[in-house]
Amino acid sequence: MNWKNVAYLIRVDRKSGRLIRGKKLTKYRENRFLAYWAYWVALAVGLAIGLAVGVVSNYILAADPSLSALFQQGTVSLFLSLPTLVLIYSLVFTMLQQIQRSGVRFSSQVPYWLPITWQEHTLASILASLLGFPLISIVFISSVIVVFSIFIGQVLAAVMTLLAIYAAAFMASATTEVFRVFQVRFIGAVYKSTGRAAVWVRFIGSLLFFLVFYIGYFYVTSGAGTITFIETVASAQNAVWFVPFVWLGMTLYYLTGEFLLQGIAFLAFSLLFIVGLFFLATSLNSRFGLYEPPAITVSRGAYAPRTGFLGRIGFSTVEAALIRKDFKAFTRRRELMTIFIAPIVIVLVPLMQSMGVTTGPAPPPFAGYLSALTTLMPASIMAMSLGNLIIGEEGQAMWRIYSSPISAGSLVKSKYFFIIFFSVLVLVVTGIFGFVFYHPSLRAILVSSFEAFFLVFALGAISLSNGIRGADFTEAPRPRMIRPSWSMINLIACLLVGIAILIPFFPYMLSAFVPSLLGFFVELYQAVIVSAIIAFALTVIFYRVALKNAKELLAKAEI
Amino acid sequence: MNYAYAVELKSVVKRYNEILAVDHVDLTINQGEIFGLLGPNGSGKSTTLKMLLGLVRPDSGSISVLGMDVQKDPVALKRLMGYVPESSRLYEFLTGIEYLDFIADVYGIQNAEKKNRINDYLKALQLEGREGDMINSYSEGMKQKIALISAFLHKPKLLILDEPLNALDPRSARIVKDFLHELKTQGVTTILSTHVLEIAQALCDRIGIMYHGKLLALGNMNELRQMSKLPDSGLEDIFLKLTGTGDIRAVVEELVK
Repeated sequence: MNWKNVAYLIRVDRKSGRLIRGKKLTKYRENRFLAYWAYWVALAVGLAIGLAVGVVSNYILAADPSLSALFQQGTVSLFLSLPTLVLIYSLVFTMLQQIQRSGVRFSSQVPYWLPITWQEHTLASILASLLGFPLISIVFISSVIVVFSIFIGQVLAAVMTLLAIYAAAFMASATTEVFRVFQVRFIGAVYKSTGRAAVWVRFIGSLLFFLVFYIGYFYVTSGAGTITFIETVASAQNAVWFVPFVWLGMTLYYLTGEFLLQGIAFLAFSLLFIVGLFFLATSLNSRFGLYEPPAITVSRGAYAPRTGFLGRIGFSTVEAALIRKDFKAFTRRRELMTIFIAPIVIVLVPLMQSMGVTTGPAPPPFAGYLSALTTLMPASIMAMSLGNLIIGEEGQAMWRIYSSPISAGSLVKSKYFFIIFFSVLVLVVTGIFGFVFYHPSLRAILVSSFEAFFLVFALGAISLSNGIRGADFTEAPRPRMIRPSWSMINLIACLLVGIAILIPFFPYMLSAFVPSLLGFFVELYQAVIVSAIIAFALTVIFYRVALKNAKELLAKAEI
Repeated sequence: MNYAYAVELKSVVKRYNEILAVDHVDLTINQGEIFGLLGPNGSGKSTTLKMLLGLVRPDSGSISVLGMDVQKDPVALKRLMGYVPESSRLYEFLTGIEYLDFIADVYGIQNAEKKNRINDYLKALQLEGREGDMINSYSEGMKQKIALISAFLHKPKLLILDEPLNALDPRSARIVKDFLHELKTQGVTTILSTHVLEIAQALCDRIGIMYHGKLLALGNMNELRQMSKLPDSGLEDIFLKLTGTGDIRAVVEELVK
């Protein structure tokens, strides 16, 4: 193993981030210290927090020494669960990174023509996958626990935990590497066997995978789910001692409990497992690292052009062609498919959480709100997200739009229709879902459906206008689609527009808490009408802004 | 539409920050001419071609293409032009046939005509049998064929081709070259940029050589020979002499040390 090669490859991977950070790339200079600023900040913040927690806990324990034993026990218990927690979080984030990069073949191409072994490449790939958020969070956690341990006299346990969490992160990244290579080969075989249905097999398969992945992701990273999850890991770790992924935690458990023999045994098992994972990843890489999934054949036989449905309902051939092209993009490009997942997860996660905490049907006022939320939120988020990226998703192929006889009007009309179509589709599905699960009143269904329509139209228009202004056609190391500043601007703008449209309903929302307010300001139907007028005005204004932005984009036409 | 020249550039300037990409270029290209635009890397060729398409706006000067102001009605003008960029990124999630169908729709070609033309081109460039596969599985040569077909499909009056024969197999390259000659007889103007000087010499009626954003030399092969005072030389020698990059031997000797 040539360690220098590993270091060079990791450095190249880190530098690929320059392409998406909006750096001025001519006469580029990089400060070596500042290049790692995020890690330095994580370290400094971790040290400061560790210090603060240590001082506070010392103060509390000085005031009430009887808490000391409990405190020590709780801290050690947290230390024991950290390797498994870090492993799970690292696994989630390294896989998320793989998903984001799935559309970019050239950035992840193995430089097989260079004198680099598969072992070196695999090791570099595993370590480079940890760069960014996973490593930043590990640096933060480890600095907190080391400083904190000094105050509570658990330095040895903290140092062992620190080593274990770095090993756990490596284990997670190696697992992702194995999974990545395996799934390329596996998916290739599936495509081959499914023939022309491969496009749909891939679409549905990817949706199901993302669905499970994101539900897990949101569950372990949001609200009460996180605490439940940490508690579960801490308590269940010993029960599943036979699962190799918890062996690092088990090592700590036995070593801190002074069961030296068992500790050493689990340490040996852990190291063997890590080495085994690495060699498995290396062997899969050397076998399938350059494997290209077979071509997907979508159509066979004679080509017969048709006048499609879109043409019959009044779209010009240019507009219909753009809509059809986008439909294919969103059902075939894996990095775009994730957009369909957010609305589903938004519906499912609160439902899962509410099912865990409530017994029996929800009380009537809450049912109405939950149903309204289920109808309004996913469709609105869909309109916002689609508008955000529907121009930037063209990527480097944007030259095709620039050089073709496509007017700003046709571009905006087709993109806007696409946004509205999918957002309304989501609205219908989630609306039915809300109705079935929360049994709201007919009035609540009608009002929330109308409002969702208004929101979709207005948010679609404003997001499209912002998506055009902030479009980012960078594709490597991952498709960015919109500049982060414009994504933030769009989020704030959508929030304000949403509030503006829903403002006539605020008295009714308040009336749930202050019943005397009911009917004080306006009747419900009046609120809907006022809301519709606001939404219509905002839609028209922002559609025109989108047109103006599209004209500028096509005139400037520089990617 | 009547116009004196297919393309007319008058004192065109384009600057990218501190880099002067195109420096007061004056150029006219006749209708039905095959014009070669040559120059070393970074000499301003691609910027010039993009300005003709309206993809890049000049800082000063005027550009007239097919008798129309490029900035005035770009959509109408683009209908009359076909373009193949240097690295043509296609929609790789579409199949070859879907991509060409998309292009035909964008240019408003009717269904019956679209079917015939697409099938003819696919057959000529030997893409039959692979047209239903997604483009991401195509070789670079196959992608280039799709890019070329998409430029020819709507029968443009002006073709702007940046390295059109890149990655093509010899048979397809020959077909494209002969096809460009046929189009010339029908009055189609072609502007091509290439680093393969043999292609330029064999294909082009006139050649313009750009260097540091300026149009250094312009004319047919005989005129270029006279200009460079290399009476019996090929385009390669002329190019190297005119662009001042002829000190090849010294460079190679330094490398082999």
